[in-house]
Amino acid sequence: MGGAGGFWVPGPEGKGLQAKISDEGSSLHPLLPPPCIIQSCWSLHRAQRALLETPSSRRLSSQTKTTARRRSQRIRSIGKLAHVQASGYLEEQTPRTLLKNILLTAPESSIVMPKSVVKPGPAPQVVQPSSRESSRGSLELQLPELEPPTTLAPGLLAPGRRKQRLRLSVFQEGMDKGLPLSQESRGNADASSLTSSLNLTFATPLQPQSVQRPGLARRPPTRRAVDVGAFLQDLRDTSLALAPPDTVLEDTQPFSQPLVGRSPSVHHSLPCPSHSGAEDAERAVSHRTRSTGPRLQNNSPGKPAQLLAGKAEVDALAMNFPNTSSSIFGEVGVEPLQDGVGGEAEERTEKSLSMSKVKEAARARGSARAQEPEGHTQVTEAEGSQGAIETKEPEGSSGDCPTSSRRVSPELASSTPEFLQAKRIQGLEPAPPPSTAVLPSEPLEPLSARLPPRARTPGPKACQNPYKTGLSHYAKLFSFYAKMPMEKKALEMVEKCLDKYFQHLCDDLEMFAAHAGRKTVRPEDLELLMRRQGLVTDQVSLHVLVERHLPLEYRQLLIPCAFSGNSVFPAQ
Amino acid sequence: MEEDDGAEEQQRFSYRQRLKAAVHYTVGCLCEEVALDKEIQFSKQAIAAISEVTFRQCENFAKDLEMFARHAKRSTINTEDVKLLARRSNSLLKYITEKNEEIAQFNLERKAKKKKKSEDENKNSTEQAEAGVVESEN
Repeated sequence: MGGAGGFWVPGPEGKGLQAKISDEGSSLHPLLPPPCIIQSCWSLHRAQRALLETPSSRRLSSQTKTTARRRSQRIRSIGKLAHVQASGYLEEQTPRTLLKNILLTAPESSIVMPKSVVKPGPAPQVVQPSSRESSRGSLELQLPELEPPTTLAPGLLAPGRRKQRLRLSVFQEGMDKGLPLSQESRGNADASSLTSSLNLTFATPLQPQSVQRPGLARRPPTRRAVDVGAFLQDLRDTSLALAPPDTVLEDTQPFSQPLVGRSPSVHHSLPCPSHSGAEDAERAVSHRTRSTGPRLQNNSPGKPAQLLAGKAEVDALAMNFPNTSSSIFGEVGVEPLQDGVGGEAEERTEKSLSMSKVKEAARARGSARAQEPEGHTQVTEAEGSQGAIETKEPEGSSGDCPTSSRRVSPELASSTPEFLQAKRIQGLEPAPPPSTAVLPSEPLEPLSARLPPRARTPGPKACQNPYKTGLSHYAKLFSFYAKMPMEKKALEMVEKCLDKYFQHLCDDLEMFAAHAGRKTVRPEDLELLMRRQGLVTDQVSLHVLVERHLPLEYRQLLIPCAFSGNSVFPAQ
Repeated sequence: MEEDDGAEEQQRFSYRQRLKAAVHYTVGCLCEEVALDKEIQFSKQAIAAISEVTFRQCENFAKDLEMFARHAKRSTINTEDVKLLARRSNSLLKYITEKNEEIAQFNLERKAKKKKKSEDENKNSTEQAEAGVVESEN
């Protein structure tokens, strides 16, 4: 354990777990050392499953890493001790080593009696870490050694209270009195005697260690009650607002990739409005702006999937959103962003010496800290009045970050619709247009069907989009077939010319229809147009062109096909 | 047979050539007028080019007019077809519309005069004849 190669080999699963933990540990080095007491406290209520299910928790690798990172980052903010000790714990991420550490450092406490020390205390502590992430649990095991588990107990119950209000003040009172905290978590299915005893056991070591390290004692952030109802309402409103374009769009386009192309836009915009406080949106947006294009695609399917899954239920949603956001943050390590996030998160909490220290630490470390409690608080505060909190002066760096990310967000908003349109358009055109005349007749109709639903795309260019999307597609085809690279201005000119050309065509069609005393454009008008264009001549008739260039699905619309059974389709 | 066809073709060809010559002559006259107006000289090649283009455009116009008439399910080319043909050029369209109105008015006046005359003379037969004449003129 003390050495570098301290691997514990309980079995194949264990090996995998070990490897995983070591991997995570290696990636989490800079973040690990100061265990997050609060984080560990959260998962305490799931203590029973923790270590027993470590192999199963392996599956939750992504969450594990991110939440572990979050925790470790938060922990780091608490004090510099973690950083110093981080190196020392680089290779001691095995459950065995962690357990040993706990045994060494945690004071004995009894399960049965409050304020009494019991040896099995550390063992249940080991079991306590949340079933969700094994590594997180393993990280938590380190908590007692480094930090006074003052905030352990509060953190324990926080996740379990997703459904309930977080009353830290009450909790802290109970803590001080040594009351079983599990009583407060009514909805906590995992609350049990073990949990209560665990809480108690944590209660006892708290005081001496806090006395020893007053500087590191971290006052847990006060959390407002999570107004889940309002949050859900916001989400539903935004999702409803964005849902119709999805359905309409998918109906009209047989060849498009609606879900893939559309979901990113829906869900990119979904988190933004759902958080009226701009911080989350800025975070997410600035994150996306910094990520590359492919990354954007990679992240978005994961995120909307998670978001969709969580939509149905309050808990799931509340859980998933911070998880997804945290996962995204975990993947992107951008210091200014994280600084801003950390600064903002800290702004929310009450002022205190420790808080100011935490702020400094956060900035110093430059690590994003999107944690569940903070996510919850931000959610609530996004909805509730933030005036009192926001009046607190954000420090210069944290103040700058949000503004910079705000500036970036409109860019992204415009870029995402274009990006989506590009994706969608590529799936639309079934065949390259061999002749321009054949093309206008067909794409004109799908274009017109496409344009109205697209008009609802959010963004500054919303009004231009319906008209320019099809043109941009043609411009891209043009640039593809042109064997030389093209300037943007040249492409714009091509778009303008195409625009005028199509307008001219449509005017002609209208005149032809009026000439025949009709108000509807019919195929005869189009044939006349093609004849004027010279595509249909005395030698080459329209039927010949149709048979040459169109796939069967379209061809049978123009030239009725006789199927077996002598039923002519389309029936006329 | 083949000789006949060849002769026919030659006839058509000669007819065509004569038409072209006529167009060329008309274009030359017009260019002379413009040259006097603007004090610009026209080279012969320019006049030849203009006449060739005019001839080909006339062929296209004829085909389009026939197409438009057929599109409107008529067998006769109408002023509407001509207007549709000239819609690209606004000034030309205006001019044609004005001329069309003039002609229509003139025809109406003529109709009225002739109707009065026919009333005086033979009512039924002359009316039918002149109505047919007027329609054909239209």
